[in-house]
Amino acid sequence: MVLPPVGVVAAFIGFPVVAAIAYTLGKTGGPNSMVASLAQHQHVAKHGVTLAAYREMLGDHQVLGDLWATVWVTVVAVLIVLAMSWTIALYLRLRGGKIAALLSGLSVVPLFIPVVIASYALVTFYSVDGFVRTVAYNLGYHSFPTVGYTLTAVVIGEVWVNVPFGVLMLSSGLNGVPDSLIEASRDAGASLSRTVRSVLFPLNVIPTVIVATFTAIYVLGSFTVPYLVGPSAPNLLGVSMSNYFSSFNQPQQSEVLAVIVFVLAAGIGAVYVWANVRASRRAGQVA
Amino acid sequence: MKAHLWALGAAALIAVCAAGAAAGSTAREGKAAAHASKTVTINVYVSGDVNVEDLYTKSLIPGFEKSHPGDKVKLIFSEHGVNDTTTLDRIGAAVKARKWPGIDLVDGGLANTLAIDGLATPMTTAKIPNLAKVQPSLLTPVKGAALPYRGSSVVLAYDSTKVANPPKTLDALIQWIKSNPGKFTYNSPNTGGSGQSFVETVLAKYVSAKDQTAMVNGYVPNLESDWTQGFNLLKSLNSDIYQGVYPNGNQAVLDLLANGQIEMAPVWSDQSLTALEQKQLPSTIHLEQISNPSFTGGGAYVAVPKTAKNKTVVYAFENYMLQPAVQAVVVNAMSGYPAIAIKYLNKSVQSKFSSVSPNTLRPVYSTKMLTDMNAEWQKDVP
Repeated sequence: MVLPPVGVVAAFIGFPVVAAIAYTLGKTGGPNSMVASLAQHQHVAKHGVTLAAYREMLGDHQVLGDLWATVWVTVVAVLIVLAMSWTIALYLRLRGGKIAALLSGLSVVPLFIPVVIASYALVTFYSVDGFVRTVAYNLGYHSFPTVGYTLTAVVIGEVWVNVPFGVLMLSSGLNGVPDSLIEASRDAGASLSRTVRSVLFPLNVIPTVIVATFTAIYVLGSFTVPYLVGPSAPNLLGVSMSNYFSSFNQPQQSEVLAVIVFVLAAGIGAVYVWANVRASRRAGQVA
Repeated sequence: MKAHLWALGAAALIAVCAAGAAAGSTAREGKAAAHASKTVTINVYVSGDVNVEDLYTKSLIPGFEKSHPGDKVKLIFSEHGVNDTTTLDRIGAAVKARKWPGIDLVDGGLANTLAIDGLATPMTTAKIPNLAKVQPSLLTPVKGAALPYRGSSVVLAYDSTKVANPPKTLDALIQWIKSNPGKFTYNSPNTGGSGQSFVETVLAKYVSAKDQTAMVNGYVPNLESDWTQGFNLLKSLNSDIYQGVYPNGNQAVLDLLANGQIEMAPVWSDQSLTALEQKQLPSTIHLEQISNPSFTGGGAYVAVPKTAKNKTVVYAFENYMLQPAVQAVVVNAMSGYPAIAIKYLNKSVQSKFSSVSPNTLRPVYSTKMLTDMNAEWQKDVP
C-alpha cells in the first residue's frame, strides 16, 4: 500500500535531490551535464568528489553573513510566533467571549492575503514616508527609525505570515484539554500561571513543537518576504540562492546553499520526529 | 476508509486528465503540421520589463497576425527574466537532444547566450532579407546568430526643478552624489539594466581600453582584477544612496524619481521616454547623456533555437520586425532606437535622433562578464 507514493517521491523528488547533491560535490556528468555546460565558476571533481564548492561558499564572508541573518531571523520569528500564538490561544481558551473571538478571527486574516501583497503593504507602511513614521513625526518624534528594507521588517513579515497557523494549531490543542482538568487544578489552589505551566503546557507540547518546527522550516527557506522587504545585504539564504542561480549563473554555488538550508531544516525535522516519538512512547503506542 | 478511496480516486482522475491534456496538445501539434495550410502558431518567449511586453501584445503581434493571415503568435512572458535560467537550460537540453523546446523565438538577455553558445540558428539574408538593412556592428556581439530589432541606451535622468546644472561627466556625477547624499540611487545590477549600466560605467573608468574591448567581446575572468578600484568607489557611495538600499528593478527607480524621493538616477532611454509620454514621470524630469565614459547601450536581440518548429513563419516574423514601417512603430511605441540604419526610416522618425546617434552606443560587456560583475557587486558593495 505504501509503495506507490514512495515510488513517486523517490522518482520526482529523491532522484533530483541526489543528482543536485552530486553536482555540489563536483560531478558534472549525466543528469547534471546540461546545467554544467552553461554554468560559470563551477568546481569540477577530477576523480571522486570535491568539497571545493563548499569551501568556497562557507569561506565567503557575504554567505556567512547571509547564513547568520537567516538563523537569527528564524529564531526570533519562531519565538515571537510562539509567544503571540500562545497568548491568543490561551485568551481564547480561558476567557472566551466576543473579544477573544474577534482576536482569533483577526489573527487568522493573514492566511487570506497573498504574501506578495502583504509584503508590499508592509514595506509601504514602514517606509521613510509611511504611516508609522508620519504618525511618529506628528507626535513630535522626528527621527523614528525606518523599518522598511531591514531585517526587522523581514521578521515582522515572517511573523505576519506564520501567526495564523500557530493560533489555529495551539487553539485546537488547548481545546482538547477538558475543562475538568483546569477546574481541578484551580480547586487544588493553583494560580492561573501555575495551571498554564503544569497542566495546559505539558499537554500541548506536540502542538507547540509542530508550530515551532513548521515556522522555522518555512522561514529558513523563505524567498518572497525577504526579497520584497529585506535589505540589499545581508539577506536571507532564499534570496541569495536565487541570485546565485539566476543572476550570477552559478548554479553549483546555489545548490550548495540549498544543501546547507536542507541540513538545517533536517535538524529541525529531527526535533519534530523526536518529540512525536517521545509522546507516542509515553502514550504506550511505540515500544 | 471511504475517504481514502475517494481521495485516491480523485488523484487518479486528476492524473489522467493531466496526461490527456498533454497527449491532446501533442495530437493537436500533429494535426497542425498535417494541415500546414491552416493556422500555424509560433511560440515566442519574451523576457524583460513591462514595456517590452506591451510592445509585443499591443503592436508587434497584432500587426504581424493581420499582415500574415493564418499565422498566429503565442506570447510567453517572463518579467525581469526570472525564468531565464531555467528556460535557457530547457532549450539547451532540447537542442542537444534534437527535440523541440516548446519555444520558437526568444527575446531577452538569454538570446545573446543562446547565440554565443551555438544553440541558435545563424541569421542570413537568405532567410531574412531585411537583415541587409541592419548595421553590421550590431551582429558582432552575438556572432551573427541572433537578430537585433531595437536598441536602447542608459541615460541620466534628473529633476530639472531641483538640479540646475546636471553633471556632464562621470567624475562630476560621482562628485554630485557625494555632495548630495540621499538624492541618488540605482537598482542592483542583477535586477535591472539601468543599474547594471551604472556599475559597468564606473568600473570602465579604471579599465584600460584594451582590456575593456576584451571584456566586451569575450569572457576573460582573469582580467576581473581590473575592477577592484571601481568596486571600491561604488562601495564608498553606499552611505550616499537613498535609504541605503538598492531597489529591485528598473521600474522601482523610475517610481522613486516620479514620487520626488530622489533627484537623479540612471534610467533606460526607451523606458523613461515612454513614461514621460504617458505622464507617469512628471515633465520636469529631463534626460541627458554623460561622457567620459558614457553609459552603455546596445541592441536587444531575438534568437531562434536550432530545433524550433515552423521556421519559415519565425523568419517571416523576424523579417516583419525589421520592416521600416514596423521599426518606426518600435521607435514610437517604445521610444527605442531602430536596429536598421537611420536612412531607411522616414524623415519624421529620423529627426528624433538628430541629437543622439544610435550608431555610437558604447557597447556593454559580454553576458558572462556581466554575470560575474553582478556576483562581484553583490559581494563587495552593499
